[in-house]
Amino acid sequence: MVDKGQVISLCRSLLRAGRQYPDYNIREYAKRRTLDGFRMNKNLTDHSKVEEAYAEGKKQLEVVERVVKVYLAYPPKTKNIMELKLQ
Amino acid sequence: MASKAIFSTLRRSLTKPHGGAVSRRHHLSTTSAATASEPYPGDEHAIVMKGVRISGRPLYLDMQSTTPLDPRVFDAMNASSIYDYGNPHSRTHLYGWEAENAVEVARIQVAKLIGASPKEIVFLSGATEANNTVVKGVMHFYKDKKRHVITTQTEHKCVLDSCRHLQQEGFEVTYLPVKTDGLVDLEMLREAIRLDTGLVSVMAVNNEIGVVQPMEEIGRICKEHKIPFHTDAAQAIGKIPVDVEKWNVSFMSMSGHKIYGPKGVGAMYVRRRPRVRLEPLMNGGGQERGLRSGTLATQQVVGFGVACELAMKEMEYDEKWIKRLQERLLNGVREKLDGVVVNGSLESRYAGNLNLSFAYVEGESLLMGLKEVAVSSGSACTSASLEPSYVLRALGVDEDMAHTSIRFGIGRFTTEEEIDKAVELTVKQVEKLREMSPLYEMVKEGIDIKNIQWSQH
Repeated sequence: MVDKGQVISLCRSLLRAGRQYPDYNIREYAKRRTLDGFRMNKNLTDHSKVEEAYAEGKKQLEVVERVVKVYLAYPPKTKNIMELKLQ
Repeated sequence: MASKAIFSTLRRSLTKPHGGAVSRRHHLSTTSAATASEPYPGDEHAIVMKGVRISGRPLYLDMQSTTPLDPRVFDAMNASSIYDYGNPHSRTHLYGWEAENAVEVARIQVAKLIGASPKEIVFLSGATEANNTVVKGVMHFYKDKKRHVITTQTEHKCVLDSCRHLQQEGFEVTYLPVKTDGLVDLEMLREAIRLDTGLVSVMAVNNEIGVVQPMEEIGRICKEHKIPFHTDAAQAIGKIPVDVEKWNVSFMSMSGHKIYGPKGVGAMYVRRRPRVRLEPLMNGGGQERGLRSGTLATQQVVGFGVACELAMKEMEYDEKWIKRLQERLLNGVREKLDGVVVNGSLESRYAGNLNLSFAYVEGESLLMGLKEVAVSSGSACTSASLEPSYVLRALGVDEDMAHTSIRFGIGRFTTEEEIDKAVELTVKQVEKLREMSPLYEMVKEGIDIKNIQWSQH
């Protein structure tokens, strides 16, 4: 049985992992998609659906953590204009 | 011992100027800096290429030419590249079986996206190869009875070029004109059909102007006359709902790199009921039902499959986001500028493709000024010459408007800030050019440009 604390902790882990992407677009997408994904499933009451969504989230977390390692192994040599303007 | 110290300091001093992995994350307070982060000076790292100097990587707004690889697709491809190296057509050992499994899983994923059976999907190198195979293959197979092909004037270059090749062989081709909103006129299609028409080819979503053709109606007409219907759906799959039964298509071309998948892979849908035959372009060992021989690039195919599955899951979410960004872009530009024309129908359109023409502005200078935004223009996309694009010409757009057309491509990874920045840059550049333009001054005074008698010197 998945409880609220686990869901929040999963969301936080996904957000934290997504923040490490070196690419501006993918980083922003990861943040937006995670928040929207959790928001969309906020009102699920059926336990099996909640378990399913949680398992899906866990799988995505594994993917992000793996992929981020590879992306960081090849750091970009130039900055995106959006990142420059943010400074 | 001492030599080790000398060499290590030498190594450190040689690598220090490049800074190794300069951290891109130092402006985000919450990430831990795993590598040493040096202060980023700014313009010293400007990129200079082809005589152009830009301060950083431009905003990517060219999703119709290609899309970046989705990290989830990248992940699946990595695993596949490492482990699925066997030849999927080797029947005798585990390596072949595993690779074949991976390919079959991808086949099911692609088939689900378009509502087909996995047995009807053929993998090949891209939509261009699929278009060539279908157009030439179908006509060559039925060359005794069918000598006529119908297509439109706004098709992709590969379809038009294949038709030209068929014309040289002696077939006849009708290039249907389109209305000013880019849609095919169904009455003209009905009139163009002859007894010896072997194929009708109409692309679902146009890559330059983004209009969605009335596929169901065209499919119905083709079914009435029992003519195979081919569609180039490279820009359509994963973006609009595609169903081969509803559209009644017999052939469909799909491309991997337009839906956040890898380049170099595509698929062809070939209907099995009622059976349509075609002559293969690639002869050889009979792989892919004999329609495309050659060893499949397993990791590319796996990537394509995962991209299709993702596209199916994310279609609704992406559509909402892209529609929102498109409205933001269009409204943002229209608020500050007049004389902005959208090329192609605004109602029957895929939201992620916005082709705008700016009146009284010169096209090349507009593109030169927009070097911080990666967009495509109507003319450059098609050929290296300065001729305006044939698609815009088919729409009946005036030459001067066709030259200033810009195609903004919005995708899954585009952000609101990027759209705002693109609006700002475009408006600034257009205003600057119009300020300098004497034609615009005359228009503001109320003179009608088209009725001016230019005196000859």
